[in-house]
Amino acid sequence: MPSPSTPRRPMHARVLVLLAMRNLRRHMRRTVLTASAMIVGGALLIFTFAVADGSHEQWIDSGVRLGEGHVTIERPEFRVSRRIEDRLPAEVRRAAEAAFASPEIAPRVVATTAKLAVTGLASSAAGARPAQIAAVDPTAEAGFSPIDDRLIEGRYLAPDDRLAAYVGAELVDSLDLRLGSRFVVQAQDAEREIAGQLLRVVGIFRTGVPEVDQTLVHIPLATADEWLGSAGDVTNVGVVLDTSAATAGVAARVESALDGPISRGDARVLGWREANPALAAAVAIDDFGNYLTQGFIFTIIAFGIVNTVLMSVLHRRREFGVLRALGLTPGQTGTIVLIEGLTLTAASGFIGVGLGLAITWHFFGDGLDISALMDEMTFSGVVIEPIIQPLMRTARLVQVLLFILFIGAAASVYPALRAARLDVTEAMKFDR
Amino acid sequence: MTDTETAAVRTDGVWKIFHQEAEEVQAVRDVSLTVGRGEFTALAGPSGSGKTTLLNLIGGLTRPSEGRVEVAGRDVTAMSNRDVAQLRLDQVGFVFQAYNLLPVLTALENAEFPMLLQGVPADERRARVRELFGRTGMTGLEDRRPGKLSGGQQQRVAVVRAVASRPALVLADEPTANLDSAASAALLDVMADLNRELGVTFVFATHDARVMERSRRLVRMVDGRIDSDETRT
Repeated sequence: MPSPSTPRRPMHARVLVLLAMRNLRRHMRRTVLTASAMIVGGALLIFTFAVADGSHEQWIDSGVRLGEGHVTIERPEFRVSRRIEDRLPAEVRRAAEAAFASPEIAPRVVATTAKLAVTGLASSAAGARPAQIAAVDPTAEAGFSPIDDRLIEGRYLAPDDRLAAYVGAELVDSLDLRLGSRFVVQAQDAEREIAGQLLRVVGIFRTGVPEVDQTLVHIPLATADEWLGSAGDVTNVGVVLDTSAATAGVAARVESALDGPISRGDARVLGWREANPALAAAVAIDDFGNYLTQGFIFTIIAFGIVNTVLMSVLHRRREFGVLRALGLTPGQTGTIVLIEGLTLTAASGFIGVGLGLAITWHFFGDGLDISALMDEMTFSGVVIEPIIQPLMRTARLVQVLLFILFIGAAASVYPALRAARLDVTEAMKFDR
Repeated sequence: MTDTETAAVRTDGVWKIFHQEAEEVQAVRDVSLTVGRGEFTALAGPSGSGKTTLLNLIGGLTRPSEGRVEVAGRDVTAMSNRDVAQLRLDQVGFVFQAYNLLPVLTALENAEFPMLLQGVPADERRARVRELFGRTGMTGLEDRRPGKLSGGQQQRVAVVRAVASRPALVLADEPTANLDSAASAALLDVMADLNRELGVTFVFATHDARVMERSRRLVRMVDGRIDSDETRT
């Protein structure tokens, strides 16, 4: 016999994993059947979240581009008053634009715009209607907003335009205007006097969003300067980011950059959720519905895992008794079962996630067309497209994998406890 | 009798009472027994005499209702489940009537399993098992799963598993019950050799006359009590 002075080191974890793996392979058909349920569930989870997240990103993109961006800077009073005296001081605008151009934020920026937005009255020979007048830099706005693409007649504003107006189709109809028609807009100017401006319709657009098409008029910033005496000031500066997920980070950095004006009450930074709470609520409600459905599906799958692992434990009572007799503690015995459940779940979960990603992007990478079910529709200033572009963020992927592992762990706990708590001498009597 | 310091096993006034519905079953009744290191002892008696229960009490697989059990000088009855498990791993080897090999492991893996838990290096594990396989006629069967071995072969693997980790004590419950005469004799030869050469203490629970004949001490049990205790030369 070899020398009795044997060095000892703990190898329990390796042994437990070895036993768990062998046991999974031992009942391959049962393992594969349970894994199949997890694989289908994982793939379904990925597909559902990719479509839901893609759809939400499209809603958000539409909402922020027709509005003020993922992150917008304005005076605290402006959101309620919508008056020209609540415009941003010129130095705040410069500081905000500098923050957007900073190395930390610039890589995320898709487009920026600065607007002077006022509420006024548009009138023609046919009558007068309330109007939201947005004075913009035509070039910057064309990159920021999809509104220039919604042209139905004429053209969008050009950089050298003066007295030109790009008008919503329903406002055009209600004022009985047409391309080339002249009409007058009136609003309070920087001196708090009512000032009027003659404009000519150079383009007509239709977004499909009634509150936009009935009221919105785009004019060049230079025209507003002359009309309202705003001296180049704007009421807000907004930025569209490459992903809505970057909103909080960018907003925090901009807030930090504008610390002085914010503390003086000259500015505040809003993310899209604060700027458009109805859109944020719609996304949250839709997410909640998805979580509920997925939770329900995975609860059913979890029962399948509990059944498989528990049956496996009950069939192996004698073996667990032997393991205990050979020196395994109750905890180590239960750990074998936990490893089996977690391995089964993790492996099938990873395969399911991979399958889900492959199917989603192979078949729907160019967009999931649901136009047979719905036409383009709108809500709360958002255009919902009938073609959904799937989206999968790393954070979502990690969340899905952790969720699957959690389900696997939760489903394995009861069988593991049964294995850990068995009476060794009774278990040794057990005969299959 | 051996004194406490050299005892492999010592029980002191041990009772084991099972409650089956309204009925109370006294499986072991006031048993005091000392087994010295290196003994080759058989607990004999008819079915229901309490010998297997006493073996389970010694191995810490079940707790006594009353009394004290010591293995290698350590009080098993006062230990936590975890400590008892560690004691079994370090000091006790088991051989069961139904072999109880792990079906997912090969013969070699089964035999080296306790050493794997102890953290014995792979080379040393393999060397010990191969040597014992050679002595038990198991060479060449290392890679077979239990389902591909005969009953005698499985029991020999179980014996190798019980002794390869060099425990102070091997508890064997009816080790020959499922074997024919030749296989029983061969297995007893192996265990007697290991007892003699390695000094491993063996305690058998048996009603097999062949085991009783080979034992050097025969403790007869009747109705949960020790009826006689005979040491042979």
